[in-house]
Amino acid sequence: MMRFIAPLLRVTSVAAVVFLLAGTAHAQFLDEWVNYKWKDVPRTADGKVNLDAPAPKTADGKTDFSGFYMPRDFSKLISIAGNKPEDIPLLPAARAIYQQRIDTNGKDHPGVSCLPSGIPEKLSIPDGLKVIQTPNVIVFLYESRTIYRQVFLDGRKLPKIDTDDFQPSWMGYSVGRWEGDALVVETVGSNGRAWLDMKGLPGTEALHVTERYTRPNMGIVNIDVTIDDPKAYSKPWSFKVTWNLRGDAELIESICEENSKDAPHMVGK
Amino acid sequence: MRLRQSFWTAIIALTAVAAPLAAHHSFAAEYDGSKQVTMSGKVTKVEWMNPHAFFYVDVKDEKTGQVTNWAFELNSPNYLMRSGWTKSSLKVDDLVTVQGAMSRDGNKQVNASTVKLTATGKVLFAGSSDPNAPR
Repeated sequence: MMRFIAPLLRVTSVAAVVFLLAGTAHAQFLDEWVNYKWKDVPRTADGKVNLDAPAPKTADGKTDFSGFYMPRDFSKLISIAGNKPEDIPLLPAARAIYQQRIDTNGKDHPGVSCLPSGIPEKLSIPDGLKVIQTPNVIVFLYESRTIYRQVFLDGRKLPKIDTDDFQPSWMGYSVGRWEGDALVVETVGSNGRAWLDMKGLPGTEALHVTERYTRPNMGIVNIDVTIDDPKAYSKPWSFKVTWNLRGDAELIESICEENSKDAPHMVGK
Repeated sequence: MRLRQSFWTAIIALTAVAAPLAAHHSFAAEYDGSKQVTMSGKVTKVEWMNPHAFFYVDVKDEKTGQVTNWAFELNSPNYLMRSGWTKSSLKVDDLVTVQGAMSRDGNKQVNASTVKLTATGKVLFAGSSDPNAPR
């Protein structure tokens, strides 16, 4: 038995070591251009960004969400429902769409054609995103699809979406307000084409997403997401997403159209 | 016993450093994770571009001697750079052994999980979107 296992053990051990060494090497490589040391952030004795430090504040005492992040994991991207699909209050027509997407392994996901995610799927895309906060607007710059999102904090109201001159969009239209240390963002105006996750939970033009952002410390942003889409779901429902700060990291350009070759081969099953 | 310990150390190490996959498309709609293959040959072309890097390898059939050019899909260059690759990690004329999952549509294409460079023995993890691939 050991005769068969021993080579496997060796290969696996070597693989792990090589991988770890690769990780060390990459830090050195990226340090030369994309991992430039941020200014004005708390650091630990070894010079790394102190992820346990208190969350930064703006001059007017609001939580400052500025930073470069990546989602902690991709479980909500793969499937928000996870192993509890019964918790998602799908209406019959939406359930049929969801099941069809499951049956075809998600082959028709908009991302296959380099189309972007909307809110909430964009919150879980495992590429870097940069948050730039000013008093009147927060800008999210996303590495994936090289796309942006604006959340207006200047007191404007959500637009009326059932008018002829309103143009629905992938990201929708977002306004935010402060509730203590939390930032509450409401988004309407989605175009109904974005999936809520890669498994295929649908959204419609009636989608209204509420996100409650908190930053318990320097290293973490928590987002409580509530989905209210009366054309797809019988009642509002919620889930959570967490982002990790990636200290001293930066966006790297990513143009999806440059080498997108998968679409013709997405056969499903 | 020592071997057993090193095995688990390796498994834990691999799990601990597991990084998220880049999400451009569904893995399962394009590749069959149950059809794992290992192929060796010479690199003929490298496309270091988003959303997925590709490289191409001339693979010789040992029985017939016939050479076929296969495409291997990697994760995004951005992901790979953050995982230790550089744009010159793989070069034309490199000899490699690639392990990965076959495409579902019969196209001569594989979603690479690991790439081993013959010259150095170095193993590069390809950031496959296969949930069962090593990371």
